[in-house]
Amino acid sequence: MKTFWERLGHAAIRMLEDSADTIVFAGRVFVRIFQRKTYSSAMREVLVNQIYFTSVQILPVFIIVSVFFGSLLIGIVFTILKDLGLTEFIGHVLMGLIVTELSPFLTVLLITLRSASAINTEMAVMKVNREMKTLETFRIDIIDYLLAPRVLNGIISIVLLSSLFSIVLLISGILFAKLIFGMNQDVYMNMLIDSTRFSDIIIMFFKCAIYGFFITLIPIRFGLRASHELTSIPVAVSRGMVNVFAAILIIEVLSLLTKLY
Amino acid sequence: MREFPLQAAPVWVDVPLISNQEVYMNIALIKKYHDNMPRQEAWRLAVDCLGKIGLEHIAYKRNPVLTSEERFGVMLLRAAMVRAAMILIVKPFELIPHLNDIQMVTSMLKTIDELYVSCHIYDYQWMQEKYGDL
Repeated sequence: MKTFWERLGHAAIRMLEDSADTIVFAGRVFVRIFQRKTYSSAMREVLVNQIYFTSVQILPVFIIVSVFFGSLLIGIVFTILKDLGLTEFIGHVLMGLIVTELSPFLTVLLITLRSASAINTEMAVMKVNREMKTLETFRIDIIDYLLAPRVLNGIISIVLLSSLFSIVLLISGILFAKLIFGMNQDVYMNMLIDSTRFSDIIIMFFKCAIYGFFITLIPIRFGLRASHELTSIPVAVSRGMVNVFAAILIIEVLSLLTKLY
Repeated sequence: MREFPLQAAPVWVDVPLISNQEVYMNIALIKKYHDNMPRQEAWRLAVDCLGKIGLEHIAYKRNPVLTSEERFGVMLLRAAMVRAAMILIVKPFELIPHLNDIQMVTSMLKTIDELYVSCHIYDYQWMQEKYGDL
């Protein structure tokens, strides 16, 4: 019978091996994205469809959520700043906290709930139905045809939707700056421009791209681990989603560390 | 399949259609992936081929709603899309269980004979009577 320490050690080794596998797999997909032969007509069509499903279909709900959530967030932050007498830091808080940190984080949470779970299930169902075997039989590379367009879509969608979220937040900020501080539009805009650092924007886009890469790659990877039994689908999906949320937290922490140093 | 890996094009219950794609996409996929055929051209080819076997009305349907005959027809056309296709039909009566003889399969093959180089049908010995003189 295994002791507690043996079980713990096995679990740790398994987790490390899993992480190493995921990183190697991510490397393979990353390389393929930059290869010209990946972009066949079939792949391009999947990419366009995926962008439509992830970025366009979600737009009405996403804009409504952005307006409501953004207004709430801006209202709370502005009220706190006013109570603390920190009005002059509005620009820094908006750009440093809300635009570069919260917008990507909330966007990635929304897209994970909607699209990453769908991708995870889609892959698991394809595996169970032996459709992967169909692709292999007709010599269609799974990375080129299934993975690369979905991962690219993740990167493009998160960058675009996060930017949209930021724009909605900043626009609702105009209204709240007027209501709470009696600040006119020009002063508000000047404050924002003064607080904007080019490096912050680059880091934000980079972070969004990394989020997009991993929130699509991990569900695909776990979906492909499903066996040929129907009962393996929920297992693959739940494991995939837990790992996606773990990855989101790791990326968030790493981005904070990047800012500190 | 091992001898002619590039030409082998199986029609087999173990090589199903992609269920989240319409019929025409399943057929056009091979041309779009291997020959980089533009989307519109591949769509036209798939619909034309479906028309040849009288199935153009199922172009926008998906696998789960197809009848056995329709599914077989689509799998056959998909196989024929392989360059210099060597179609391998494996246990056709498993794909269309209620079929009494091979007549329907052979007539479909004749209709699309310009799309493939050769065709081989594999089945169990005890199914021989269903094949008649073939």
